[in-house]
Amino acid sequence: MNDNDELSDSDVLTAVHDSISGVPMPAAPRLEAITARARARRFRRLGGLSVAAAGACAALVVGLAGGAPAARPAIQAAPSPPHHASGVHLVAFTVAAGPDGTTTLTLYPGQVADPNAVRQALAEHGIPALVTAGEFCRTAVQPAPGVGDVVTLSGPGQIQIPASGQPTGRPGPIVIYGSRIPSGVELSIGYRQNSQENEISFSLIVANAPLTCTSIPDSGPHGND
Amino acid sequence: MSREKTEFAEFFQASWEPCLRAVVASTGSVQLAEDQVAEAFARAWLSWRKVRRHPAPRAWVVRTALNVGASWWRRRLRELPLLGHDAEDLRDEALHDEDGGLDAALLTALRHLPDRQREVIALRVFLDLDIDTISAQLGIAPGTVRAHLSRGVTTLRHDLSLTQAMEADR
Repeated sequence: MNDNDELSDSDVLTAVHDSISGVPMPAAPRLEAITARARARRFRRLGGLSVAAAGACAALVVGLAGGAPAARPAIQAAPSPPHHASGVHLVAFTVAAGPDGTTTLTLYPGQVADPNAVRQALAEHGIPALVTAGEFCRTAVQPAPGVGDVVTLSGPGQIQIPASGQPTGRPGPIVIYGSRIPSGVELSIGYRQNSQENEISFSLIVANAPLTCTSIPDSGPHGND
Repeated sequence: MSREKTEFAEFFQASWEPCLRAVVASTGSVQLAEDQVAEAFARAWLSWRKVRRHPAPRAWVVRTALNVGASWWRRRLRELPLLGHDAEDLRDEALHDEDGGLDAALLTALRHLPDRQREVIALRVFLDLDIDTISAQLGIAPGTVRAHLSRGVTTLRHDLSLTQAMEADR
């Protein structure tokens, strides 16, 4: 290889590959270090927390990582929204264990919940969910059972979500029957929160299937507050 | 361990090294790349529901790591405007052969490529992505990816040939 013509593109790319391959790389850190870093980042991103709430966040890390519902602390930050004895309160939302194995998710208008935080909090309650803010995602196939069997909007009027179509009224806490979600199925939750409204949409989706996400919840059960 | 955490753990273990090498190729620093890739994996875990569906999750990690790095450099360079430092001063020496041999020369040449060319080469070489996947990942046309790849390879070929010629003359 004494002149340029003798070096093919492949030769050059192979040389680049080999040049780095010979360099010893640090071993992967422990997975716990990565997830701890993720938790720290998530809490840094939770804007609007009061100083009083900062201590609550530290307790929340333990609670989310602890796994057992009994170990989850009751966490609340000012201003005081409804309190759940075994719940996790992150200002913009709460996730709490309810009776009969249900889980109650409450989103508070006027504040924007971090979708990743909501998803992880639901995961801690055994609910596989895709949570998106500002967009609404579904798969081409909406698997059984109907989302109305899995999610109920409670609160004023005790709104029951129909199998399809838009419920009316003001949705309060969202009751999720996690045990009714079959294996290979996830609950897609999309919401849009601002000072005027709190729009939320649900659908059941096939895990790992391609998603279609839109800025408008085009069909299926959803509520407007 | 939950199903999704197990899944992420498998992805993390299998992808750490190739992602790290791709970022090292771009940054020229093992230390910086290690931190950037760790941060990118942390973000991948936070967004795992989406990342797991990504057509090239490793590419997502590498792109995120490089974006983290860009932010880091911008901050760092703002902090040191009067000290006579430039980006080169802040890189570690982990990749430099003591005798300044072929690998060091090639890596130096790689670092001096424009960002996009370097990024395309890193994704092609270390993650073995095809043109269409790189195109989708970077949000640019396949023809543009080919052009970046071609220009980058041409530059590297020139530098590589010069280095080989100099070594032959020693």
